[in-house]
Amino acid sequence: MNDDDRSSEQLAAGGCAHGIDALSDYLDRDMLPADPTIDESPECQRVLRSLRRVRALATPLIEADEAAVTTLDQGWIRGIMENIEREAKAGRDIPFAMADEAATLVITEGTVRGLIRGAGDRTPGILVGRCILDGDVSVVGEPVTLHVRVSIGWGRPVTEAIAQFRDEVATGLRQHTDLVIAALDIIVDDLHFEVAETEGSREASDHE
Amino acid sequence: MVVTDPSRTSGRLLDQATDRTLVERCVDGDMRAFEVIITRYGRMMKAYAVRLTRSSADGDDVVQEALISAWKRIDTLEDGAMVKSWLMRIVSRRAIDLMRQRKDTESTDDAIIEAPEQDGPERKAEASSQLGALSEALDRLPAGQQQAWVLREIGGYSYEEIAEQLGQSVASVRGSLARARATLVREMEGWR
Repeated sequence: MNDDDRSSEQLAAGGCAHGIDALSDYLDRDMLPADPTIDESPECQRVLRSLRRVRALATPLIEADEAAVTTLDQGWIRGIMENIEREAKAGRDIPFAMADEAATLVITEGTVRGLIRGAGDRTPGILVGRCILDGDVSVVGEPVTLHVRVSIGWGRPVTEAIAQFRDEVATGLRQHTDLVIAALDIIVDDLHFEVAETEGSREASDHE
Repeated sequence: MVVTDPSRTSGRLLDQATDRTLVERCVDGDMRAFEVIITRYGRMMKAYAVRLTRSSADGDDVVQEALISAWKRIDTLEDGAMVKSWLMRIVSRRAIDLMRQRKDTESTDDAIIEAPEQDGPERKAEASSQLGALSEALDRLPAGQQQAWVLREIGGYSYEEIAEQLGQSVASVRGSLARARATLVREMEGWR
């Protein structure tokens, strides 16, 4: 017990022989091992009850504080988003196979990840998480293995959703890149709950 | 490439994503996922920051800095499911840093009661209730005691972690917490 702190001994309340500090420790230990000098003292029990009551209000207090922050100011959020935009995670440059050697054209790794996330957004029940391009993407024609982690909507048939997602990824990458995909490894590592979808909510994707 | 319009339909899709999926997307640079995280936890972060700094304006600054810092190093977060407590930890560190900077330029005497800023609508909502009484009692505590109490009871930190964050000894944190609890118990007597 840590009641050697002199300042806390002075705080012993209303006839209780133990300091607030010691009583708080006792509470933290779920009152184990039992201390009869606390358990059998009505004064100590009174302080314990008060301590417990104040402690129990901590969570409701922060929840009430949170509820009182009705909305986050959109301008404030925009400020944050503009700030992090400067920290954009573009990743490696991925070249296109081009006949013209005088100019290069690349698509960034970050954009390719965006394409894959977009493919997930278009597949009912799939949300793409981590997405890793394994291989030397900077060399045209070099085979690349994609490792994608996805979350599946609760109750969705996994194999069907994944098959459709594979098609979407293949189509998207063929359209927008010259990547040679050796393999597309998919790990379903999360489960999410879907709310009823409205018409068209699947159409938008996070890349242009 | 940059999408900041929350009304955009696919934003709703992401609202369903788990924290872990959102964090994975953030690691890959998906700013939309980060915006969903802000929407999900920004208000809780703000409430916590205001409790620690006792100022709505400082709370805003703290949360803004915390979020920018979180985005930069979100790849260091090992388990995305822990993002909420991770964010709260960043908030408390930022808030304490800010308070310490203030303290260096002002008084270092813990015993001086700082007049809390009553500038947010947050506090008024709680008036004339048990929570309101606790809120006011907290605001009347010396800053150091109040921070220790908030870190302990709301942040859920151990005495050692609080000592580290406040740059104090564990004994000193124990002392602050004991004084804070004694005062709160006394002031909340009437609300039994």
